[in-house]
Amino acid sequence: MEGFLPWQWAVLWWLVAIPCLALGVRELKRVLSLDPEALPLLGVTGGFVFILSSLKLPSVTGSCSHPTGTGLPAIAFGPWITAVLAGIVLLFQALFLAHGGLSTLGANLVSLGIAGPLAGWGVYRALRDTRAGMFVTVFLACALADLSTYVVTSLELALAYPAQVGGTGSSLVVFLGIFAVTQVPLALLESVVLVLVFRYIVQLRPGILIRLKVFPEGKIMAERSEA
Amino acid sequence: MRLSRYRFEILALVAIVVFCALFVFTSSRTGNAEFAGSDTVGSSHISEITGIAEGQFRPLVGQWVPPGREIESALFALQAAIGGICVGWVFGYWKGLKEKE
Repeated sequence: MEGFLPWQWAVLWWLVAIPCLALGVRELKRVLSLDPEALPLLGVTGGFVFILSSLKLPSVTGSCSHPTGTGLPAIAFGPWITAVLAGIVLLFQALFLAHGGLSTLGANLVSLGIAGPLAGWGVYRALRDTRAGMFVTVFLACALADLSTYVVTSLELALAYPAQVGGTGSSLVVFLGIFAVTQVPLALLESVVLVLVFRYIVQLRPGILIRLKVFPEGKIMAERSEA
Repeated sequence: MRLSRYRFEILALVAIVVFCALFVFTSSRTGNAEFAGSDTVGSSHISEITGIAEGQFRPLVGQWVPPGREIESALFALQAAIGGICVGWVFGYWKGLKEKE
């Protein structure tokens, strides 16, 4: 849906997105120079953002939407680096697919690259050092990253297009019905798949996860010895 | 015992099957569902509240649009392929490293 966001809002979301992107680029440089094994991990987690956001999946509401895949890089690298990954995907879709748009890239960055990953990362950080299982944590973080992306999309549209009766609030309810409800089954499916991917990473390269302090060493090694 | 080793694979498989079943169920119940993108549904809602025809909305920055649905789906497939190559390459690299150790 290109051209629907009024320019004032497009500019505002760009202003929010740019500092986050800058922070992400700086973080990215730091992580990559710190650990040569970070690059492959970035490749896997970023690769899944590419794959998942290209899939348009049908949902119970009789319409289709994309999964996001941003939960995994948010867990591994934090929300700012995830914003850079999301930016690459969004640029690809805006340039070649007329999907998302260039002027609205800022707004899409805020929902897909910043708000979603931030929410997922928040859950992950809250649960990381508790007794909650590692895979449960990954599942919840991925599901929330996906869902809140579309909640924020709905919010962006509701702010730009308040309903004549009831204003932004009732407009938000309608947009949530269109975007967020459609997203629920997709978010759950995506998260199950990403948990599996995360398990493969734990089995193959636990070292990088420990060095990046993604999870406490005890949790990672316990899972590994069980495999 | 052996099954529990693959519990995540089984879980993922079950989730995919349930997802497909849900799709078959809803599409049979709602005979006229078009499975349009939720963005399309959103667009028509905006045109409803503003009273402006959907075609009137133009992107601020001129945009290249894939000429035709076939080309669009090819480009989506390309995007998935790029991601798939990244993922496959890294997992292969890691597997090779692990075997060497």
